[in-house]
Amino acid sequence: MTADPTRRLVLAAASSGLLLLAGCRGVEALGRPPGPGPGVAQLRRAITAEEAMVRTYQAALAALGGHARAAALAGELLAQHQEHLVALRSRLVLPGGSRLARPPAPSAPLPLGSGRRAVISALATAERDAAARLLGLLPAAPPELAQLMASIGASEAGHAAVLDPAALA
Amino acid sequence: MTADGRGQPARTASGTRAAITALQAALAAEQAASYGYGIVGAHLSGSGFAQASADCVAHERARDVLEQLILALGGSPQPAPAAYDLPVTVRSAAEAVTLAVLLEHQVARAYLAMVALPEPRLRSLGARGLRDTAVRAAQWTGRPEAFPGLPPPARRPGRG
Repeated sequence: MTADPTRRLVLAAASSGLLLLAGCRGVEALGRPPGPGPGVAQLRRAITAEEAMVRTYQAALAALGGHARAAALAGELLAQHQEHLVALRSRLVLPGGSRLARPPAPSAPLPLGSGRRAVISALATAERDAAARLLGLLPAAPPELAQLMASIGASEAGHAAVLDPAALA
Repeated sequence: MTADGRGQPARTASGTRAAITALQAALAAEQAASYGYGIVGAHLSGSGFAQASADCVAHERARDVLEQLILALGGSPQPAPAAYDLPVTVRSAAEAVTLAVLLEHQVARAYLAMVALPEPRLRSLGARGLRDTAVRAAQWTGRPEAFPGLPPPARRPGRG
């Protein structure tokens, strides 16, 4: 088996960059850092949206305490959102001093209303909105990231399909 | 237009070939689904039959859209085979649902490949096709998937 030349190149480039950084007092000594790579802005937005979904589901789980079936489903869907977040974060590699490395201020969790039906409906709406937002981020994303974001959006649309207040009575 | 990827990519001969290849793969998956859902519906009754019928129509519509797109790009839509070797033998309602989900998975993989195309319109079409297939699969199983269309190793990059 031959080594993948592309990967080798990337590794060589990465390690020379590290050596260069290690020999300097700070990133500033290198001059203006290059702008973020393609897709970084889209990835950050997708991560922020996924973090909001995780917080929304955590609030929903607390609100659904007395409804075993609805809470079990919300727990399963929350676990998938946490998987989405891990997958998205694993694609974000930024130099430590970069402005973009700082996480944006967390958005407030969505209002869920009270009662099982209201909570389930609010989750379904949040899932559909999240899926639609991801669709809007696709055109400017690099192909592999676009595929991950499309898959996550499809997953969220699937979540909305099973969040049926009548079926979860 | 611009070198940063934000501009509309110019369509080259190789780009058109890649688009047609991806569209033909999606067409083949939609043709298989349109055929397979006939078998699914034949083993279901009531709401299951209604769902299979609606899903079959959705796949036929998607198939027609893909054919038109291939023609518009100067390609020739490949004809559907007369019959298929089904991935499962269907003798019961449960096996019919298994087949429906397998058909959706096959369609999902083809649409995910379209999402890698540079043209925003085709990428968007692939993403919407993937979304619709994930919704149908979730309706059949009641258990939505975390990463529809993606192969298993890519699903959990943080764990392996």
